[in-house]
Amino acid sequence: MPPDKAKMGNIFPNWTNWLAIKVLICLGAMGTAIIALAWYSWTPKYTRVGYMPQQPIPFDHSLHAGQLGMDCRYCHSFVENSSHSNLPAAELCWNCHSPGKVKSDSPKLELLRQAMDPNYENYTGEPIRWVQVHETPDYAYFNHSAHVNRGVSCVECHGRVDEMPVVYHAKSLSMSFCLDCHREPEKHLRPLDQITNLAWEAEESDRDAFYAKLASSKGVEVSELQSADEKAGMEWGQELIGKHLREGWAVNPPQDCAACHR
Amino acid sequence: MRWFFLIFTFLVIATIIGLRGRGEKFSKPPFELFPDMDRQYKVKFQKPSHFFENGMGSRRPVEGTVPMGFELPIEKADGPPRTDLDFETGDEYYSTGLFGDLYGQGYPEGLTVDAALLERGKQRYQINCVPCHGESGDGKGIVSKYWGTPPVKGKQSEEDYQKELADFNGIPPSANLLDPRVDAFSEGQIFWTITHGKGLMGPYGGTVNVKDRWAIVAYVKALQAASK
Repeated sequence: MPPDKAKMGNIFPNWTNWLAIKVLICLGAMGTAIIALAWYSWTPKYTRVGYMPQQPIPFDHSLHAGQLGMDCRYCHSFVENSSHSNLPAAELCWNCHSPGKVKSDSPKLELLRQAMDPNYENYTGEPIRWVQVHETPDYAYFNHSAHVNRGVSCVECHGRVDEMPVVYHAKSLSMSFCLDCHREPEKHLRPLDQITNLAWEAEESDRDAFYAKLASSKGVEVSELQSADEKAGMEWGQELIGKHLREGWAVNPPQDCAACHR
Repeated sequence: MRWFFLIFTFLVIATIIGLRGRGEKFSKPPFELFPDMDRQYKVKFQKPSHFFENGMGSRRPVEGTVPMGFELPIEKADGPPRTDLDFETGDEYYSTGLFGDLYGQGYPEGLTVDAALLERGKQRYQINCVPCHGESGDGKGIVSKYWGTPPVKGKQSEEDYQKELADFNGIPPSANLLDPRVDAFSEGQIFWTITHGKGLMGPYGGTVNVKDRWAIVAYVKALQAASK
């Protein structure tokens, strides 16, 4: 052995033999974890879920629709006639929040005063730029009036807005979300007078009133309908209500492409 | 080395927690990988548009335009053609509640007051009027919880008065529709009041269409009759 080589010793210690493999394993584990995460929660289906933008005025739905019990249609007034559920003009907020009425000098309503009060020093007349939370792609044409007038409640797509201090995107609103309901509408339909009652529960709703109304519209006896349902083994609940409503309104949701993409 | 694997596992978990999971709340606009067809350059409901000078996508319809997907307007002898969804059609009694400068009595021609109209009126009343005027029209809606009487000037020292006025957070009571004063209103006057507001009440001519306003008038009249 030449003397100088013995002095040098090993430049790389023994453990470096495995270093490359270990680094690869670690990177592989990290990569797998990120892919698994992305696969689970970053699919296009879920990129919007949880979107909770800050609005120019911190409007509290849980106070207005929840505690005060105001109907959704007080503000979203054209949802039954239009494909688009409108945001109200500032004039509507002004009905209650103009000077001398509710919280008219709250700092949160600064923008409203700027938009509405010509006597206000910072008056601009500019409309309030609310941020849209729920937005379908521009090639999907959703019609609010078609759904709201046929027993699909606001809550089906928007969640319990009456419990949200700040509105967020609660449901996926993906194509399969739409199709689930278009294939089995009876799981989601409810009587028209309960459309904006977001807390409605099928099991706890008024059974006798439902049958009475159904019987009078069909021109048969209540007992006849009830015994027919019992014979079919159907219990009082969403499926039973949905089945009758679907029959009554002849609800047959389209499942072809052109239904929503035109 | 065994410490290294522990730390590494911890790092992986921390990364996953740090990145946003399914359904977690976030306030920045959602990430869109290919927005090309999702967000097209067209005018959309209540969206801004750079094409127009004032930046607003919403435009007033051109004169004589008939909205798509609705019934054609019905020709009327007493005014311009109208649909059930009109917010104003002209200056005839049906859309103003006035004859000249005077409140009209009774319902306009061509409007049948039947059970269906009353049912509609009840529904619209419960949406638009109940928060203040209450289910029965007695003026004790949910808002009555926040009623307050403002401090009276002269009862206390000026300083106390100003302080109380600054603290005053209530709102003045809403009208009792069953009151003889309101009971004496003609149909036209109630219609006019809904359209333009009165006192502290704001105008509802922009959110409730003409036919629904007449339906509410009929329902209010029914409430008043029922209270006697």
